[in-house]
Amino acid sequence: MSKETTDEESWDVLITAKRKWLGLNFRELHQYKDLVKLMIRREFVSVYKQTIFGPLWFVFQPLMSTFLYMFVFGNIAQMGTDDIPQALFYFSGTMLWTFFATTLQKCSDTFVNNAGLFGKIYFPRFIMPIAYVANAFFTLLIQFAVLIVFHIYYVARGVTFNVSWWLLVMPVYIVQLGLLGIGFGIMISAWTTKYHDLRNLVSFGLSLLMYATPVVYPISSIPAQWKMLFQINPVAPVIEMFRYSLFGKGSCDLKMWAYSLIVSVVVFLLGLMTFNHNEQTFVDVI
Amino acid sequence: MNTLVKVEHLSKEYRLGVIGNGSLWKDLQSLSAKIRGKQDPWAPIDGESRFSRRDRFWALKNVNFEVKQGERLGIIGRNGAGKSTLLRILSQITAPTEGTVKIRGHVASLLEVGTGFHPEFTGRENIYLNGAILGMSKSDIDRNFDEIVAFSEIDPEFIDTPVKRYSSGMYVRLAFAVAAHLDSEILIADEVLAVGDIRFQEKCIGKMKDVSENEGRTVLFVSHNVGAVRQLCQTGILLEHGQINEYGDVGMVLQAYETSLRG
Repeated sequence: MSKETTDEESWDVLITAKRKWLGLNFRELHQYKDLVKLMIRREFVSVYKQTIFGPLWFVFQPLMSTFLYMFVFGNIAQMGTDDIPQALFYFSGTMLWTFFATTLQKCSDTFVNNAGLFGKIYFPRFIMPIAYVANAFFTLLIQFAVLIVFHIYYVARGVTFNVSWWLLVMPVYIVQLGLLGIGFGIMISAWTTKYHDLRNLVSFGLSLLMYATPVVYPISSIPAQWKMLFQINPVAPVIEMFRYSLFGKGSCDLKMWAYSLIVSVVVFLLGLMTFNHNEQTFVDVI
Repeated sequence: MNTLVKVEHLSKEYRLGVIGNGSLWKDLQSLSAKIRGKQDPWAPIDGESRFSRRDRFWALKNVNFEVKQGERLGIIGRNGAGKSTLLRILSQITAPTEGTVKIRGHVASLLEVGTGFHPEFTGRENIYLNGAILGMSKSDIDRNFDEIVAFSEIDPEFIDTPVKRYSSGMYVRLAFAVAAHLDSEILIADEVLAVGDIRFQEKCIGKMKDVSENEGRTVLFVSHNVGAVRQLCQTGILLEHGQINEYGDVGMVLQAYETSLRG
């Protein structure tokens, strides 16, 4: 009988009807680390396979947006940029916004876009959101290098920037923005398996939300009675902090940062719960 | 012999028809009616609750069996008998409604050939990607790479061509070759051999039999091809309407299956 009991304990996988809420199986993710790497590569490379410009696409998009914003918001609408050179102001805003928006959008399509794959084979589902955010992050790094080139160009032309000590916190608020994107994304992904209408809402909602975020204008240009609205947007402080860190202009508020950090962590945990709760049965409802 | 898979009282229920009202807006209307204590505007007119019993369907009902190490179990049954549902639960793709499955060791499931192949990637890249999806590590694939290419019978010249340019036969052969070289203790295969020509099918069955006999690996095999099941498996399960009708020696099970087909 004693052999029987040791047998009972040595099962590797236990499949039951129970659905989990919290928790990430790091041991399992570690077992699949090669898959994580390959999925990141797959996401990254498939952007530019069979294109003429190849990886340059990672830079074209924010550059085009920057030129467009300089023309429309800078020259026609004459909106201020906190005295930051327009190119730097719009480029820094758009690259951070794209990082957040792409992460959110890709993660929100996790189940719908991978239904074929998930319906045929098991691997930790959370690998896909990891691959999406990593891919968005690498894109951000490439764009950051371009931003540094711009930065050096302006410094060479005699513009001085007061680079702030907030630069040291940059890894924290970039990770925080990533968490916020994944959190909202995977939360929506669980709902879209049932309600496909949410997909349309996401792309539309994100383009609206961009204008509620200081991407094409600085927070300082907002009238006082509207400031409250910006304080509930957890993306706004991150973009302001990013510009403040690099150019020393704009505002940096500890309270706003703390608020945004808490919201990001809470949203991430809620997202993880919704995701975990749905990953085992979504194939039945999609 | 060690038991590797133990299935106890396994059941899976599916809900028929539309889930919810079919859209978020209608579900919100139902919810708001419920909160205000009014009648659900989207409830069926005959007054039955939306989740009534007649909308429910048991794809599997109280299934029990065990698979020992090195055993090759064939699962047969007519269309809709619950074979695929059973394999989906065993492969952790969907959760059961009741009961448990206990598994010792790593499961590699091949419910479809070439799952996760990316058309823009080359044959080489896809071997790595597909292998990783099936749970192989990079070093495992490195070690087996040449063998995989040889087994797939794809000209090494084509291995660096995107698989979207492959013929469907090449695609299938490459995909099966990857799966055949998995180091997992348990291999689950569903109708994967329906594709590919007879000679390659024979080769695949031979390979599965070979790894089971020589390396003690366990195979769970679903097929409509009675000949393939007889050739590969020692034991069998006959599923009918989600329940086990016959369980035991493969010859006996296949006979019962053939009788049920005629009857």
